[in-house]
Amino acid sequence: MSELADLQRAFAAALHDGAFDAAARRVRALGVLPAERLALYRRNMRATQHDALAATYPVVRRLVGEAFFRVVALDYLRAWPSRSGNLDELGGELAGFVAAYAPAADLAYLADVARLEWACHESALAADAPALDTAALAQVPAERQGAIHLRLHPSVRRVESEYPVVEIWEANQPDRDGSLLGDVVAERALVWRAGPLVSVRRIDGAERDFLDALAHGAALDAAVAAMGTADATRVAAMVERLAADGVIAGFTPGAVAA
Amino acid sequence: MAGTLARPGAGIGLRTPHHGGVERTAPPVALLEVHSENYFGAGGGELALLERLRGRYPLSLHGVGLSLGSADALDERHLAALERLVRRFEPALVSEHLSWSSIDGRYANDLLPLPHTRAALDHVVARIEKVQERLGRQLAVENIASYLEFGESTMPEWEFVAAVARRSGCAILLDVNNVYVNSVNHGFDAHAYLAAMDPAAVAQYHLAGHEAGPFGLVDTHAAPVAPEVWALYAEAVARLGPRPTIVEWDANLPPLEVLLDEAGRADAILAGRHLPSRMPERAA
Repeated sequence: MSELADLQRAFAAALHDGAFDAAARRVRALGVLPAERLALYRRNMRATQHDALAATYPVVRRLVGEAFFRVVALDYLRAWPSRSGNLDELGGELAGFVAAYAPAADLAYLADVARLEWACHESALAADAPALDTAALAQVPAERQGAIHLRLHPSVRRVESEYPVVEIWEANQPDRDGSLLGDVVAERALVWRAGPLVSVRRIDGAERDFLDALAHGAALDAAVAAMGTADATRVAAMVERLAADGVIAGFTPGAVAA
Repeated sequence: MAGTLARPGAGIGLRTPHHGGVERTAPPVALLEVHSENYFGAGGGELALLERLRGRYPLSLHGVGLSLGSADALDERHLAALERLVRRFEPALVSEHLSWSSIDGRYANDLLPLPHTRAALDHVVARIEKVQERLGRQLAVENIASYLEFGESTMPEWEFVAAVARRSGCAILLDVNNVYVNSVNHGFDAHAYLAAMDPAAVAQYHLAGHEAGPFGLVDTHAAPVAPEVWALYAEAVARLGPRPTIVEWDANLPPLEVLLDEAGRADAILAGRHLPSRMPERAA
């Protein structure tokens, strides 16, 4: 068993760190240098893990270009080696990594784009939830509506940015040429999944505060109060849209004590 | 097939680019294989698709990430996710690879070779037993393609594979392409490999394409099944018996029809309707 662990540690040093010597001594040559054999495994590993990152971060990749993304991916994997046999879990630290990544310092918005793409990735895999029972919601008497607790769909994520993160994300979808059409302002993204489809849209500060309050368990009254200045018509339209889109996936009548 | 006695048929490895095509056209394959880890999410479109397909096809859950042969402890989270998936979908077969992928918690996300030693055998047998106990069912374990051999190995690969099945009670998922690739890479007789397999232990065959690498052959799953592999498959079916067969294509995927044609060829061989016109002679 410890023999096996030794061998696997030596092999891993070749794969992850490019340190071939210890493993090469335990590999039969058969006409090919052991280090060359190990190098094939190292290339395979890097290609697999690069491809998984590229699949999760298509916009980051497009922004920096394929060649530079390869470098980013290798540097990232050195800092954050894969910790799971499930490749869907690879790449969760990329946003933090690129935020401190000197070669990409000119692209200040890159980390936020990465956070948005990771939010989309998580959203795609998040738990399902039954659709909101709108008929039941409509039957709640007006005087008790404020006490309702609206539940967000498990796939809902929010991303705050000082940059036009939604604009950049939209401009770099496959059907767009990358040029920004809107104003270059700070944006907040709302991410959610309806059926199999993950959606991204921008929200303003008031809607963010409302969703934050709901996420923290606030009743409808308190969530509306958290928005500050919003008027009743606006709140009704906002809630209606969130419900229709599937961002709100359920409710608990407030009269029932927890 | 209605009206005939159930006999093993061929299916395909279902990968994302063909999700829509398979659902729309419902091709008449005998079974579908999916990679277990692609369905480890809590919810979402992939799981919903699998839920829709499970009524139409027997499923084969094929794991690539459990790192069965690792000297690390088994990854409890991975095992729990697999267990959830198996209980939910009740697949016809649950399989993994006779390989390792991680040590000290660092993963290569690749199928890495084990040394064929007594100690490695003891270790992997104990791990397979644990997994089988946890899942409450037999696991099928696949022989991998490899690009090196370890000096410390004391037995040939086929002896190692056969002993794993005999001692753990697991089934063998015999990847015929991997047998062929390794016979070329390591210079052994593929026929001797087949002869060492216990027919009763073989639960499924895999077929896939390989390509020439910098040295030897690489199991890329990015090409049609090679003529030599078709011939070896026909020999396996004749020698070990017909078993459900999966054609796998994982990179540079062709149109669905091409993959279905390959599965059709496997079906014909399973039914004994076809033998390759030229059986390649093996050099002694």
